[in-house]
Amino acid sequence: MSDVDGAPILRAEGLVKYYADGNVQALRGVSLEVRNGEFVAITGPSGCGKSTLLHLLGGLDRPDSGEVQFRGEPMAKLDLDAFHARRVGFVFQSFYLLPTLTAAENVQVPMFEGPWPRSERAGRASKLLEEVGLSHRAGQRPTRLSVGERQRVAIARALANEPELLLADEPTGNLDSASQDEILRLLGQLRERRRITLVIVTHSEEVARAADRRIAMKDGRIVGAE
Amino acid sequence: MRFITLIGKNVVHRPMRSALTALGLSVAIAAVIVLVGISWNFERSFLAIYRSKGIDMVIVHAGSSNQLSSSLDVGMVDRLRRIEGVADAAPTLVDTVAFEDQNLASVLVDGWEPDSLLFKGIRILSGRSLRPGDDRSVLLGRVLALNLGKKVDDPIQVSGESFRVVGIFESDSLFENGALVLPLPDLQKMMGREGQATGIVVSATSSDATFLDGLRRRIESEIPAVAATPARDYVVADTQIRLAKAMSWTTGLIAMVMGALGMLNTMLMSIFERTREIGILRAVGWRRRRVLVLVLGEALLIATAGILIGGVLAVVGMRALMFSPTARGFIDPSIPIEVLGLAVLMGIGLSLLGGLYPAARAAALDPTEALRHE
Ligand SMILES: Nc1ncnc2c1ncn2[C@@H]1O[C@H](COP(=O)(O)OP(=O)(O)O)[C@@H](O)[C@H]1O
Ligand SMILES: [Mg+2]
Repeated sequence: MSDVDGAPILRAEGLVKYYADGNVQALRGVSLEVRNGEFVAITGPSGCGKSTLLHLLGGLDRPDSGEVQFRGEPMAKLDLDAFHARRVGFVFQSFYLLPTLTAAENVQVPMFEGPWPRSERAGRASKLLEEVGLSHRAGQRPTRLSVGERQRVAIARALANEPELLLADEPTGNLDSASQDEILRLLGQLRERRRITLVIVTHSEEVARAADRRIAMKDGRIVGAE
Repeated sequence: MRFITLIGKNVVHRPMRSALTALGLSVAIAAVIVLVGISWNFERSFLAIYRSKGIDMVIVHAGSSNQLSSSLDVGMVDRLRRIEGVADAAPTLVDTVAFEDQNLASVLVDGWEPDSLLFKGIRILSGRSLRPGDDRSVLLGRVLALNLGKKVDDPIQVSGESFRVVGIFESDSLFENGALVLPLPDLQKMMGREGQATGIVVSATSSDATFLDGLRRRIESEIPAVAATPARDYVVADTQIRLAKAMSWTTGLIAMVMGALGMLNTMLMSIFERTREIGILRAVGWRRRRVLVLVLGEALLIATAGILIGGVLAVVGMRALMFSPTARGFIDPSIPIEVLGLAVLMGIGLSLLGGLYPAARAAALDPTEALRHE
């Protein structure tokens, strides 16, 4: 793709991850590179370590060995709170919207840690909702929204502080195919408009096909890449 | 959206639970205000008696913790008057009587000598004061007269004996307003304690603390088997007042701790239920401190509601107490500002304490663990 500029935004080297009981080795040495502006899909059977990998790439968790670098900086050296607040956005399969807040307020949640003055939060949230096509639903609580709309609110929230990187864990896993198509179209628009880097864990062949590149995993290892 | 809006929405989202927690706390706050307030007023009212009469020192039988259990010979008054530094001295005999028809279980009755310094600080509202030679005459405190429905010149039965009301008075002290005053000899005769007093009050030529300390030592060395105590110390050391204070503080504190435990329970439940939410907050970059402040803010908001409701409950409770026959006339229904401030501070402090552990647990959550939580 024309937007990919070659410089790596993410680089993972020999990632190994065990889980607390010590019996499960979720990752058995994973190395990969994601270039700036790329759209990468991670696929593989359930339990093969995709979510674990995504969490390590996003600095939500630490590997037991190996290293993740963001733009050449080891993750271990970053102020992770600031990194999460400003440079990376997460989207999850189950949306995780706050049930007490309206769509517009949910989008503002990350802004508390952003650089914006309080007076700008509401305005920025409505622009983001407009960008995901939900202006007319801004005042609704999540329970009043369809699942497709909820995921769009979650995407708007992930973009709240204008990150460079969007990490999504099966973002269409709970959606019907019509909603999935909409989300896919939306992600494509966002890439064009924002030149954002996209890493998506998915089970959907359609989503994987839309990506620039596919990384296939099995049993904690990368087994194929195009 | 403001941060406080977020806090408010989280609290309001579970209206029943938040309201019950606030209510529990409000009962605790009200208990502290009412109980501590009463004992506080009790002490203040006692002090007012001594201040308005210019009493600097109280003499009781050595070893007696309060006037009701002390016994002294009235002849001692003349010896006291001759001691250097004593301006005046007066005996007082104190007892309690019941007026069963009016449902008054324990009314203070004072036996005073006419013209004694004890009459200072009381104002005659109607009729006259006691005169030398009066007998079978009583003065009624304003509140007691009201409760008994007696006017000047009405006959009155005191412990089965007939008296006549000669005057009605008002004092700065609630105790005296609810009490009656008899000529000392009449009360001595009724109690079978002729020639005796429960205490002797002394007004000194100076109220200076070191002067009073010297006077105390002179009195105790000249007159055997008596204890002289500066009036302020006497009030503060009074076992009944101390007991009242200790009991009100203990009860109030227990109530407050229960309120704080309620807060702890509510906030813990709330963060357990919101584990994944908290995980997402951390994932979008919220620092641990912000999560901590969020949970503490919720506790504080509930506490504020509890304090407001508690204040109202306390005022209503105090007024309601006034309908109780034993409390009426004994209890000052005003709420001292110091007690109010103290209750507010305790409410806030204990709520924060109850919210601290849940808040710290929430802040310590690992985002991935939290998001995986089902
Ligand atoms: N917090 C955890 N504690 C214990 N085991 C875990 C935990 N998270 C994931 N696992 C295990 O690690 C393996 C990989 O999980 P995950 O990364 O979620 O896989 P995927 O996303 O590909 O389904 C699985 O066997 C899973 O059960
Ligand atoms: Mg997964």
